[in-house]
Amino acid sequence: MTERTPHPLSLLLVDDEPIVLQSLADWFRHEGHEVETASNAKEALRRVAERTFDLAFLDIKMPGMDGLELQRRLAEAQPELTLVVMTAYASVETAVEALKSGAYDYITKPFDPEELSLLVRRAGEHRSLRSENLRLKERLEAVAAPEPIVGASPGMRRVLELVEAVGASEATVLIKGESGTGKELVARAIHARSLRRYGPLVVVNCGALAEGVLESELFGHEKGAFTGAQHRHKGKFELADGGTIFLDEIATVGPRVQVDLLRVLEEKTITRVGAQKPIPVDFRVIAATNRDLEEMIACGEFREDLFWRLNVFTIEIPPLRERPEDIELLAGHFLERFTRAMNRQPMRLSSEAVAALVAYPWPGNVRELQNAIERAVVVGSPPSIGVDELPLRVTGREADRAGALSLEEVEKSHVRSVLERSRWNVSQAARLLEIDRGTLYNKIEKYGLERPLDG
Amino acid sequence: MGNPPVLSELRFVALGELSRDQLDRLVAEVSRRVAAPCRVVPTPDASELHGRLLDGRPQLDGDHLLGALEGVAEGPGLVVGVTGRDLGRKIFRFVFGLARSGGPALLVSTARLDPALYGLPADPALSARRASAEVLHELGHAFGAGHCPRADCIMHFAPEVESIDLRGMRFCGSCARDLPEELVSR
Repeated sequence: MTERTPHPLSLLLVDDEPIVLQSLADWFRHEGHEVETASNAKEALRRVAERTFDLAFLDIKMPGMDGLELQRRLAEAQPELTLVVMTAYASVETAVEALKSGAYDYITKPFDPEELSLLVRRAGEHRSLRSENLRLKERLEAVAAPEPIVGASPGMRRVLELVEAVGASEATVLIKGESGTGKELVARAIHARSLRRYGPLVVVNCGALAEGVLESELFGHEKGAFTGAQHRHKGKFELADGGTIFLDEIATVGPRVQVDLLRVLEEKTITRVGAQKPIPVDFRVIAATNRDLEEMIACGEFREDLFWRLNVFTIEIPPLRERPEDIELLAGHFLERFTRAMNRQPMRLSSEAVAALVAYPWPGNVRELQNAIERAVVVGSPPSIGVDELPLRVTGREADRAGALSLEEVEKSHVRSVLERSRWNVSQAARLLEIDRGTLYNKIEKYGLERPLDG
Repeated sequence: MGNPPVLSELRFVALGELSRDQLDRLVAEVSRRVAAPCRVVPTPDASELHGRLLDGRPQLDGDHLLGALEGVAEGPGLVVGVTGRDLGRKIFRFVFGLARSGGPALLVSTARLDPALYGLPADPALSARRASAEVLHELGHAFGAGHCPRADCIMHFAPEVESIDLRGMRFCGSCARDLPEELVSR
């Protein structure tokens, strides 16, 4: 009959007066809470050493130990304990001291039962919020922790050393490397090691946007700054305030935006398109390129002054073909990740498959390897992935097998196969086929493919 | 499972500043709601039952008075002490009533139940109804029930007199399950 409150708490009551302890314990038990009592400081410390409590009510004036000292020792023993101090009118000053020392609240004796009820409810909520906050922080740490950079080759070990070296600094970093080598991963690793790690990491793919759009994307715009600017829009630099902005494919930025970028990097202020007033912004820049910027400078395609602004600390990621010793390691890493993500039985690569992967030149670098393994996990059958399950570009065998079929038949068969392997997860199948979902739905309709009833 | 609890009798005792009419009205109200004999018995001759004031407060010490009543309670059933004086506890500013789980007695004060105290016309029937609600609530505690989150249950906590009026006069199914049949059958 006592477990009636929706959120029962475990309470420790500390008071030297037995009648106070008895009355409070009765009351809290009636309210459905679990109660233990202690009539002196020593007993209270013994109780918290034995078990944890959600909430403690502590009489600030007790013989044997100063209430503030007991509060401090209780908090030391159980940092998560929410403390409420009970005081008589005469000791409000002490209660204020207790609050300054971290007590959640104080309550003056004698109190209304309702006051007590409200206080406990609020303290319970406070405790839940604190726990939730801790949980979220832990999750944030987990989310902020970037994908590990996998590689044991000397080239990648050097990359990792440089990431460690530059991470905690505020230095601007320029990451060089071919497409698919993992430049964004390195940028994320640098951000995660910086003091800005709880701030945002804003990624801008400069190559994906036309110059006019890029300008507005980077710096924002005011309402009415241009046709279609119906609302004020914050730019990526503003969004990166307190964090890091990652400018991918920096070599694709046109001359006008290069000038603007140079000014922003020098002045650390941005001016929205259509605005007059500059806005101070606190950001760190990491830029990346797959092109030779110095060559572009020589051709007059990239500003030298911007280059020197960006080229403070350079990290060059070697292409995968130059570090074949990393291929098996990376393949194993992706294999584990995708089998877990797709909830499939553990798989391993056959020795022939490993040999084929190592022999392949990987023009698309790690990204291509990642896609190859994802596809192999979808189409392969546990426990082993053989050469046949590796993508066409790797093996060249699928084309032979399909030689006698029409293009449509091959497509239909392939689409059905990928859908089945994806358990009819259309998004996943579309990603593997490298087409959008709409196109895949059209193909499903065109070829009359039907999802099995048992799903 | 043990035997279900039984409420064989309620014996009402006047504990000061309470008219016979008030007590009779209360007993009549409680009799309507409890299927056990309810009767008024003479106040035992014990000086402790005069009560004592809380330090610096014009209120009877509820814990002390309940203890005194428990000390003189004998025989089957429970003793219901009723006083017209205000009841407090050392740690609580006031209480409408008091009971201990498994105790032989319970205590109810009518001091804060009279509408006249709040500037409204006196209403003896309403006062008696409120007092009977408090008797039922404390009886629930005496048989081990805690406070109930259901606002329409008599075991819902009433911090002020209006809450007694808003609260129902019956035990909800969950609270009733472990209480004596005599307490929940009407």
